[in-house]
Amino acid sequence: MKPFSPRAFISPPSIRHGIRAHRRHYAVQAPGAPTLEVFSRSQKWLQKERAASNADVSRQADYLRDEVASRLCERLLDINRHFPKVLDLGANACNIAAALTRPNPDPDPSKPVSAPLANRIGELTCAESSRTLLHRDASLPFNSAIPIVREVLPTEEQLPYAANTFDAVISSLSLHWINDLPSVLSQINSILKPDAPFLGVMLGGDSLYELRTSLQLAELSLRGGVSTRTSPLADVRDVGGLLQSAGFKLLTVDVDDIIVEYPSSFALMADLQAMGESNAVLGREQGPIRRDVLVAAEAIYRELHAEGRQELPATFRLIYMIGWKEGPNQSKPLPRGSGMVSIKEILEGGGGDGGGGGKK
Amino acid sequence: MPPAGKTRPLERLASASAVYGKCIAADFNNVQKDKCMTEFLKLKECYMAAYKKR
Repeated sequence: MKPFSPRAFISPPSIRHGIRAHRRHYAVQAPGAPTLEVFSRSQKWLQKERAASNADVSRQADYLRDEVASRLCERLLDINRHFPKVLDLGANACNIAAALTRPNPDPDPSKPVSAPLANRIGELTCAESSRTLLHRDASLPFNSAIPIVREVLPTEEQLPYAANTFDAVISSLSLHWINDLPSVLSQINSILKPDAPFLGVMLGGDSLYELRTSLQLAELSLRGGVSTRTSPLADVRDVGGLLQSAGFKLLTVDVDDIIVEYPSSFALMADLQAMGESNAVLGREQGPIRRDVLVAAEAIYRELHAEGRQELPATFRLIYMIGWKEGPNQSKPLPRGSGMVSIKEILEGGGGDGGGGGKK
Repeated sequence: MPPAGKTRPLERLASASAVYGKCIAADFNNVQKDKCMTEFLKLKECYMAAYKKR
């Protein structure tokens, strides 16, 4: 039998008659910034649609988003303003809207109960690429407590809004799937009105390092190499620089670790899937993880991170960022070197004096 | 260690899992292919026994 040859399927090279004048061109480099593609947007959209199509399971896995949304809204409580138009970018299931309608985001017995933040918001636009996830909670009671406009975006990377539209932009747990973060941040800066805040939170740094390392060790020992199982994430140091280069002023960046305990690594992965937060890196290996790798990863996870307990901890590192668009009457940081008091003296020299000064 | 037949499959699975985990974790900076293979095969057998179709 003749060996299989692909040549039969390839059309023969066309024969050119005559001599063609060979023209030479200068080498040209295409202008403009290269478009960065790390995550597959269609894959992420599909994962979110699938996850939200099972509303009950999807709501059960919302603990992280709800908690983070309420922590983010606490930060909004500090800004004593009325916001006529607010954008929630990457709204997921409108978790921020639900958090805004709760009466007291900061349960502190020493402070009086604050009214829900929704009273200070004129209109909340929830923008999200996945229609099913966005409309999952559209029939729940919180929708009547806050004026919501749900808007499905074809992509979260190009915002279809005019400049100077919003009095605040909020984004909770979706910026970590954005391919071109610098561009999106400067778009946010441009759609904000002058002297308006952007409050965001994204997963970053060492999120899910336990799962990542145990999958890597399992794949190393069983297959002799590693493949991408978790996203590359931005670090805290990067975020400050990104906000600054997008033109934001008066930056605040801080980090918060939420450690969730799971009965097994399988439960963790099932919950990530129900959140629609499965792996969507473009260079990922297609198809599911092999079962023997999963079994080995579970054993390694338990040995390295459980510390003798039954539950497996999983770390979610949240990077909160607040930036303000430049405005005319905004307070500005003083020029470098204009300080009259050395902070070193306050922190080190004379605890009583420094402490008293701090309390004034 | 109790004889294999006397314990229930899930208990054996937990101990085999701990043995494999310890083997990898003992020197996790130096993992190459087929490290701890015997331990892993035992673990795999336990999983097969615990989750086999009846």
